[in-house]
Amino acid sequence: MIAATSHIDSPTVTYALAAVGLPLLAAIINLLLPQRLGKLAGWISTGIILLSAVLAAIVFGRVWNHGQLHMQQLWFTIGNTAVNAGILLNNLSVFMLLLVTVIALPVHLYSTAYIKPEEQNRYYTYLSFFCFSMLALVVVDSMIMLYAFWELVGFSSYLLIGFWFTRDSAVQANKKAFIMNRIGDIGLLSAIIILFAQYHTFDLVQLFGPNGLVFKSVIQNGMWIASTGQMPQVWQYVAFAGIFLAVAAKSAQFPLHTWLPDAMEGPTSVSALIHAATMVAAGVFLLGRVYSMFNQAELNVLAIVGCFTAFLAATIALTQNDLKRILAYSTISQLGYMIMAMGINAYASSLFHLATHAFFKCLLFLCAGVIIHEIHHVKEEHQLNIDPQDINNMGGLRKKMPITFVATLIGCLALVGLPFTSGYLSKDGILIQAFEWAEGKPAWYKIIPVSIFITSGVTAFYVARLIFKVFFGEFKLKAMFPNLNLHISDGSWSFRIPLIFLSLCSLFPLFSFNPFSYEHAWLFNGFKPENYLDGESIYHLIIPVSISVLSLLIAFWAFAVYIRQRKLVLSESNLLFKLSYNQWYIDAFYKNVIVKAVLLLSKALYWFDRTIIDGLIQVLQQLTLFLSGLAAWADRYLVDGFLNLITLLVKGIGNFFRGFQSGRVQYYLFSMLAAVLAVFIIKLLI
Amino acid sequence: MITLTHYLLVSAALFSIGIYVVLSKQNAIQVLIGIEMMLNAAILNLVAFGKFDKINNAGQTFALFAIVLAAASTAVALAIILNVYRRHQTIDPGKINQLKD
Repeated sequence: MIAATSHIDSPTVTYALAAVGLPLLAAIINLLLPQRLGKLAGWISTGIILLSAVLAAIVFGRVWNHGQLHMQQLWFTIGNTAVNAGILLNNLSVFMLLLVTVIALPVHLYSTAYIKPEEQNRYYTYLSFFCFSMLALVVVDSMIMLYAFWELVGFSSYLLIGFWFTRDSAVQANKKAFIMNRIGDIGLLSAIIILFAQYHTFDLVQLFGPNGLVFKSVIQNGMWIASTGQMPQVWQYVAFAGIFLAVAAKSAQFPLHTWLPDAMEGPTSVSALIHAATMVAAGVFLLGRVYSMFNQAELNVLAIVGCFTAFLAATIALTQNDLKRILAYSTISQLGYMIMAMGINAYASSLFHLATHAFFKCLLFLCAGVIIHEIHHVKEEHQLNIDPQDINNMGGLRKKMPITFVATLIGCLALVGLPFTSGYLSKDGILIQAFEWAEGKPAWYKIIPVSIFITSGVTAFYVARLIFKVFFGEFKLKAMFPNLNLHISDGSWSFRIPLIFLSLCSLFPLFSFNPFSYEHAWLFNGFKPENYLDGESIYHLIIPVSISVLSLLIAFWAFAVYIRQRKLVLSESNLLFKLSYNQWYIDAFYKNVIVKAVLLLSKALYWFDRTIIDGLIQVLQQLTLFLSGLAAWADRYLVDGFLNLITLLVKGIGNFFRGFQSGRVQYYLFSMLAAVLAVFIIKLLI
Repeated sequence: MITLTHYLLVSAALFSIGIYVVLSKQNAIQVLIGIEMMLNAAILNLVAFGKFDKINNAGQTFALFAIVLAAASTAVALAIILNVYRRHQTIDPGKINQLKD
């Protein structure tokens, strides 16, 4: 059974399937490849992801803004429910398809130099599998398959975060990521079950498509009514809560965000992929897929949580010293922007920001990777006891690694959202729409746009701090160890090409020919709703200008603090500093409350198991042992004893008679004589 | 004068000595000598009782046959002893106990 809703275009579907399946093929090939061919594994995966990207681009060109392409086939039937497997290509999925492959390509290339050849086999198996899971996640058309690939994305990220599994911290980190994601998975699963109970289908098009079942369902008099059935209203909120939990876990939103900073234990190239396109984008993508099911209250929840997460993560990033950790918190912050944008009906801007963020965050991570790589070399060479990721050890690197410096600068400018970068287009779009959204609503709604505005300022500060500490001033290691012989450089072309490519993608021309207006961006126009009004409000002018000015001022402040060494920031004993440095104590809270409670519970259960269950078993065991001991005694002493007595008797008699058979002739003669004498004596006596 | 009783006493003594020798000696040849003593005690009896037989000299003649047969059996016994010696490197009948089970 094949059904296509708009137009049948089988080559496109074939290309899409090939683009999805090829990374799986690469994973299988790399799995079977002998280990000494590690170098080859890298090039196989890179070549295949290039092919995938080309195919994805073709699919993108054919489907983008040409309606949707939906093809499915009967997978299996349970009762009256037919579950279909198929692919759904619409603007959202082809956009993600292209984004994932295009981001994965430089990461693959970069990794050929970043990962040691002997580890590349395993690495590329995981990496290709990761790409496959994510690509499949974005094109499938049913909730069942979505869930399956959702799990696979979590699983393959688990493998990659714990790639250096001999390090204890990596094992802890991937366990943490996995458990956090499992919490989200439970949410998604329960949401799927509720949606199925209500609508009797898993099909994404039937559920969430235009005029789909979700669109037609209403909430009346406390009941959630759809054409297929009805149930109490509360279940709609439970379903939302499930979806939200899933999104919060995958896209690292408060309160499930703590796994993402720890996931830095994986190779930096993996971090780049996770933070840019594959892992965390899945949550935003899921929101995009099921967007039509949310009502106003639920959207408000998304807006509030997104906004809070953005602010929280930005403040934490202010004081962190680990290069990758700063970037990780900035990712959480930017994801907060996206979730919030979903909540304020800025669907198009949210996805636009997802795309731009993917490029510049991937770029920043790859830059961080190069820097850490070089510092690590210095550490290895001179046997220093330093943390290669600590930004307090860096400084003045701009002259030694110019390409990395420029690339990082572009990435940071995009992250702050300064003009001429892609980040400016997407981020200011979100800010403007946030202000427009709050317009005409009660005053407390203003909290969201204002706090997100403040967050932008905070972002500018920590980004400036990062740049100044790493690239300007004196090289701190040189100050600490004066006799170092340094040769730090940009690294090989496998490092440079991805950086250059991603830097170009982080500038405005890729997205819009007009560097100042997000509404001219083609990506934005591909997602914006039909009834979108080109805003002519005052915010379109005020926000970008004020945010740029503010960002520059803050950057200048940071310059004064970190380069001119003026004391303009909070001291380290300040309460706010501590709050930020310790990541708002969220990790500590989880550790001390939730983990401890779980451990306590499991200890109690362990005790119960040990004492009560095992105790019962032990009593039974003792009883059985006693009974069998009794039986053994009876067997041994009564039954065997009787038999032994008989054998003893027979043996005694036998031995007695055997004694006569001494084998000596003279004894025989003697006995004969004795017998004859005895006969005679008896004869005399009688 | 010498009566039958004297013959019988000598014969009984000879037989008893023979039995003692047979039972106590640790050399097969000596045992064989003991056997011959007992045999000769029997022959002595035969000759002594032959005086009271109706036919003359029948006892002596029979004794001669018995002596010849004894010599033959002694030859066989010596041959056996020789073989026993070859086999066991001893002719002490106390040490040759392979007759037992």
